[in-house]
Amino acid sequence: MTRLLRPLGVTLAVLFFTLPTLWMLGTAFKPAAEYIGTSLVFWPSQPTFSHFIQLFDEGVLRRLFNTLVVSIGTTAVSLSVGFISAYALVRYRFPARLDHAFLLLVLLIKTLPPIVVAIPLYRVLNALNLLDSHLGLMLSYQVYTLPFCIWMLLSFVRQIPIDLEEAASLEGAGLVQRLLRVVVPLAAPGLVATLIFAMLLAWNEFLFALLFIQTPSQFTLPLYIATFTTENQTFWGPLMAIGALSSLPVLLLAGYLQKHLLRGFAMSPQ
Amino acid sequence: MKPITAFSTTLLAGAMALTGVVQAADLVIAGRDGGYGDALQAGVDAYEAAHPGTDIELLKLPYGSLYEKLVIGMREGDSSFDLVMIDDTWAPEFMSNNWLAALNEDAVSQDFIPSLTDISRYPVGQGPLYSLPVVGNVAMFAYRSDLMDEPQSWDDVFRSAQNLKTNDRAGVVFRGTQGNPIVTGFLPMLWAYGGHIVDKDGNIALNSPATVEAIEAFVSLRDVAPTGVEVYNSGEVRDAIQQGKAAMAIEVWPSWVPSMDDPAVSQVVGQVNIVPPPGQVNESTPMLGVWQMGVSTHAEHADLAEDFLAFFTSADFQRQLTLEKGLPPTRTSVYLDDDVVAQYRWYPNQLNALRQGTARPRVQDWQQLESILGDYLQLALLGRLSAEQAAEQAHERMVASR
Amino acid sequence: MFRSHWHPLLLLSPALVLLALLTLYPIGYSLMLAFTNTQYGGPMTFVGLDNFRDLFSDWFFNQATRNTIVFTLAASLTQVGLGLLLALLFHQPFRGRAWLLPLCIYPMMLSTLVCSSIWKAWLHYDFGWLNNFFDVLGIARVSWLSDPQTALAAIVLVDTWQWTPLAFLLLLAGLQAIPPDIEEAATLEGATSWQRFWHVRLPLVRAPLFLALLLRSIDAFKLFDKNYVLTGGGPAYSTETLSLLAYKQGFKFFHLGTASAIAVVMLIIALVLSLAYAWQVMRRPH
Repeated sequence: MTRLLRPLGVTLAVLFFTLPTLWMLGTAFKPAAEYIGTSLVFWPSQPTFSHFIQLFDEGVLRRLFNTLVVSIGTTAVSLSVGFISAYALVRYRFPARLDHAFLLLVLLIKTLPPIVVAIPLYRVLNALNLLDSHLGLMLSYQVYTLPFCIWMLLSFVRQIPIDLEEAASLEGAGLVQRLLRVVVPLAAPGLVATLIFAMLLAWNEFLFALLFIQTPSQFTLPLYIATFTTENQTFWGPLMAIGALSSLPVLLLAGYLQKHLLRGFAMSPQ
Repeated sequence: MKPITAFSTTLLAGAMALTGVVQAADLVIAGRDGGYGDALQAGVDAYEAAHPGTDIELLKLPYGSLYEKLVIGMREGDSSFDLVMIDDTWAPEFMSNNWLAALNEDAVSQDFIPSLTDISRYPVGQGPLYSLPVVGNVAMFAYRSDLMDEPQSWDDVFRSAQNLKTNDRAGVVFRGTQGNPIVTGFLPMLWAYGGHIVDKDGNIALNSPATVEAIEAFVSLRDVAPTGVEVYNSGEVRDAIQQGKAAMAIEVWPSWVPSMDDPAVSQVVGQVNIVPPPGQVNESTPMLGVWQMGVSTHAEHADLAEDFLAFFTSADFQRQLTLEKGLPPTRTSVYLDDDVVAQYRWYPNQLNALRQGTARPRVQDWQQLESILGDYLQLALLGRLSAEQAAEQAHERMVASR
Repeated sequence: MFRSHWHPLLLLSPALVLLALLTLYPIGYSLMLAFTNTQYGGPMTFVGLDNFRDLFSDWFFNQATRNTIVFTLAASLTQVGLGLLLALLFHQPFRGRAWLLPLCIYPMMLSTLVCSSIWKAWLHYDFGWLNNFFDVLGIARVSWLSDPQTALAAIVLVDTWQWTPLAFLLLLAGLQAIPPDIEEAATLEGATSWQRFWHVRLPLVRAPLFLALLLRSIDAFKLFDKNYVLTGGGPAYSTETLSLLAYKQGFKFFHLGTASAIAVVMLIIALVLSLAYAWQVMRRPH
């Protein structure tokens, strides 16, 4: 029974998740004349590269680069800061349940709709002279990514048995050594998953990029993507082309990192 | 562990190497995306070619994003933008708050259609000139000339729609999405029935019998409209008429109608007539939807901004934009140009509509009034409220919102 | 558990500094605005609880609240349930797993706008892929988005397509972290696969399970862009959410007072909703 169920389940899941994606890819190569709503046909009879060429002519690479810089910066900060915070919350005893208070505060921040914080945050960045800069974006994205990373890493760090660390401690390893030699390797699958998610959040963020960046050449991809759906018309070809193109870097990253995800406990140092 | 370490090193290196060099542009323009953006880009390219060494940055944004960004920028005194593009419904807010600088009156040619320059002034038609009209948009009515004659009244529209409705063609199509979209198609109808959202003094005046009749007529159109019209926006309206799935569309805009005659995307080439919307109790009252451009009061490059605007709205360049990009002009001479009329057969109708056109009420809280009406209108469309209830409750809510 | 006074403080300080800098002022500002009648750029008048009184007596607001809660529960439970199923399917190695995994998590890599657009095309009544496919199967067409009865469910479907991968990845990471010897021991003791799942795996992935629920429900609770693109909150307010309402009040009408009041209500509901999860996740093991 299980032998039948697994292939069936996997097939269904793959179909559900990939059919719309396939349609997106097909549409990215579809000449405008062939696009009539959505026929059942996935692949155009006369595929064209014209949508991709249009994107490159319009300077998609510059925006791709901006997005890359901002998301890498954002992720680097969130992942490292979030990791040590999560570690502290799991491994140390706090007086008066301060750790719980901290976590609730973090949760509260994550719950706020970004629209509400946008205007005051604009003023904060303005005061710091960080409007219209990538550094300002990386900083403001911490509002999304840092709470996310803390909560995620918390549960991964908690899964790590303390014995190994205690052993290392007895051998004279200090805090930094324990973190780098014992905790980071054991938390690797969690760190990888968190990294992918944090990267994604920053990669696709729209609102803060719109409000905090003024110079067009500094814009990130999501804002460019938004220009393909106007209220009168959706430019399906270029929209799907940019959709596919902009997801590539994150997909490659995820593909590369999934090895770590799937290795699991095999990574633990013996 | 190596790959992870290597990766985090890359991350850190990336984070450190972030400072992209920003050079200040000579002029920054904030405008719309899509076809408008293409036209602006053509303007920028032509201007830069004519003035070598001038560096212009053009920001192309979707409708809502442009509004949000401009309002926040203006409120916080941001000086990043020199020249801004605004919808005529935003104009009262922008002009009354002194966010736009008064333009040099000498720049105003008599060639601009008077009804358009009127709403570039604040107060309307009298005050200083704060902007120039750049897109001569006016809501038009589209019908299939191969199937029917031009409807003379909204009663005609309903009758023809009933006759022409088949299994794979709706009688009439409109924007049904709740909030602002549903209202735009409805307004010319409201006016034709003699209803108004605000009276001459700017007071809410929606609870009139005329409004109720207009809402009833609008709701009756749902039976002859495509299934799913409740979430239609302009894109769906356009697809429906271009794919031959609807015989009439109550609201089409000159900035995109040229594609109806484009065989690459349209199945009804030459079969759609574009006319001003029909009347009912009153004569037809076409609704203006003019895009304007003005110079920000915080502009650092005001002179260059004004010079670019003069160039962009000049008769020669407008003619070129119209012929090449299909951008609806704002000057009478361009509408009367032989080459232009040869390419866009409905332009004489459009010029008439623009001349008689009415702008939406010049009140500062228009966005909100429109949205309130849109919410109740859709409840009426879906039969959740009667026309009387919708008119009455929308009226009360608008009064309470002020 | 380690004991040190300055270690935890040192480790937490970067997060504290960042969050204080970025959110103390915004949160305080919004909390204050919620009790004022403030138009952006205009004067600030203190109005006490008026904003809240107006909201609670407002049919549109109550409708949005109801939709938001229904959507949050439906979307997060569906996604975590499906994610768990998928994680169990992908836990054991099989041929092609390395290729199929990225395919299945791909939707979450897409920009929400692109994702919403794909589904806008797919759910279109006349031209949509789904209805065309239903024609082939001989099933009646469905008014996915334009029927108040189905619109919210259609948006749950879209959200599920995009975000089940998150729950899936989290749970997969959780399963992969179970030391193999524990499972082997259970198998040697003659546990059936169901028993293994119920007594061994499920308790061990409890933390990621609750985490996935927490993260997905907070995100679903803030639903804004999908309904904005797909339905505009309609038809008849059946897909209007609190975030969309706050957006309109805050960014279209610039009524910062009302928008902040909505945000405060959201905060309170979200805290209540998530305290249960939070308590589960924060509870120390053993």
